[in-house]
Amino acid sequence: MEGRETERKAELEKMLQDTEPKPKTTIVWGTGLVLLVLPFIISAPLATEILIWGIFGLGFNLLLGYTGVLSFGHAAYFGLGAYSCGLALRYWQASIWTGLLLGIVSSMILACFIGALAIRKRGVYFAMISLAFGQMLYFLALSPLKQITRGEDGLTHIPMLQILSISLNRPRPLYYFVMVITVLMLYLTWRILQSPFGKLLQAFRENEERAKACGFNTTRVKFLSLVLSALYGGLAGALNTIYLGYVPLSTLFWLTSGTMVMMTILGGKGTFLGPLIGAGVFLFLQNTISLLTPRWELFVGAIFVFIILLFPAGIMGTLRDKYTSYRMVKLKKQIESSGDSI
Amino acid sequence: MFLKTEKVSKYFGGLKAVDQVDFNLKKGQLKSIIGPNGAGKTTLFNLIAGVYLPTHGKVFFKERDITRFPLHQVSHLGITKTYQITHIFPSLTVFENIRIAAQSRETSFNFWKTTYSLREVNQRALNILEQVELIEKRNWFAATLSHGERRYLEIGIALATQPEVLLLDEPTAGMSCAETNLCAELIQKLNQEIQLSVVLVEHDMSVVMGISEEILVLNEGRALAEGTPQQVSDNEEVQRVYLGEG
Repeated sequence: MEGRETERKAELEKMLQDTEPKPKTTIVWGTGLVLLVLPFIISAPLATEILIWGIFGLGFNLLLGYTGVLSFGHAAYFGLGAYSCGLALRYWQASIWTGLLLGIVSSMILACFIGALAIRKRGVYFAMISLAFGQMLYFLALSPLKQITRGEDGLTHIPMLQILSISLNRPRPLYYFVMVITVLMLYLTWRILQSPFGKLLQAFRENEERAKACGFNTTRVKFLSLVLSALYGGLAGALNTIYLGYVPLSTLFWLTSGTMVMMTILGGKGTFLGPLIGAGVFLFLQNTISLLTPRWELFVGAIFVFIILLFPAGIMGTLRDKYTSYRMVKLKKQIESSGDSI
Repeated sequence: MFLKTEKVSKYFGGLKAVDQVDFNLKKGQLKSIIGPNGAGKTTLFNLIAGVYLPTHGKVFFKERDITRFPLHQVSHLGITKTYQITHIFPSLTVFENIRIAAQSRETSFNFWKTTYSLREVNQRALNILEQVELIEKRNWFAATLSHGERRYLEIGIALATQPEVLLLDEPTAGMSCAETNLCAELIQKLNQEIQLSVVLVEHDMSVVMGISEEILVLNEGRALAEGTPQQVSDNEEVQRVYLGEG
């Protein structure tokens, strides 16, 4: 009897090996290696900007791509993170770490507030409420809080920063500083997606009603996903302040949210590297074409349409779908051949 | 009584979808609810499962008043439902579908641990896949399964939540004759082998009469008759409104 049980356990273990193999972090460290050489391929400032938007996108993708919740007000987290960090650096002469931490914490608190009020709303209603909150913050910074935020001029005179006596005023050190944080955030995202919570996000996106019937409090799932997403937004905003050396008011404008949506869809929502690729392609095109013509938006828009026609699920999303189809054909053949052998 | 409703009603505006229905289920019992379309069968299911709040009346499970409990809490108490239209996670693999449900009883809001490390949960998911005969297709995406297999998968998802009461809403809908028979066998097996209490809403009378211990007949939101399959099929009123007089 005992032998039978051991045999059965071994059989299950064998099945699990092909069904749930030990997850590997190759994709994180592999991406890290590519990022290591990126400033030798494109300019370091452009590469830095790609990483900052990439971090923002990683968080946005957790909410849109993995949880299936569309927020049109993500500029609020990015902008608040940027302003919190900028204000701390400018008025309190805070350290870079304090600035980053403040950026993250303030955005997460804002997400808790917005989440508590609006997370029960679904689909377009949540998107509209988040947009309204984002715009409220924009107008607050524009006018009532002008004394602190400097209104339309943006927050300037942010002091130069150093880490271990290396000035972040130069492009390469700044790039590598942002790169280390990006790789850490990639690793965090990878951990989240491999965790029970990450799988739950995907289940929620697929079928909220079924997830509820399984015993999950889906409101809490959405709320946590929003707060996590704001963490990335706040961090990206704070890094943007360090990168630019000032905080433009446009960080809070709805166009920032719109750009994020575009980047995520371009790269492939619901794919691990999609937002990073999307940010890369978008910013590279913007940077290259704007050198050639002042009407770069027109060309970037046309290329965006072309890419989406070619890759309907975004660049990484379409590649994933192709791989999935290939895998399914292989699995069907496997079952057929095992049936033949019986 | 294991699970019961006391004069439970649900009104949608002027429509009395369920009107003062008393429903009782003993532990380990397999009971069916039948009735013509619009009789209130699914609404009664949803009242028990916590999808709807009753307009009047109460729902009790193991002597506990669960009337105002939401769906996810009712599920944690041990009552799980399947849906009339298949509700699965289509882009996840068959294994992941079951594992998600199984992890709901363990750890779900853990951000750091990998699902790979949930060995017991993963093994339980495989066991359930064997029970519903989908083990061979464990790595398939749920969207690629046939209709019948999806219904099986949904039963598997429900089983993975370790229920004490399984509410099955038309589990054989859209299945072929052979699939229907297999599904009926599976339901009976679950009821007899693991002493699972089952409430079944079903239109296929051969399934209902073949496996039910008791039947509740609903008509226009009200309980029309209740009893063993023989008593129900002999009931003249039931014959008139549902089974057909001829």
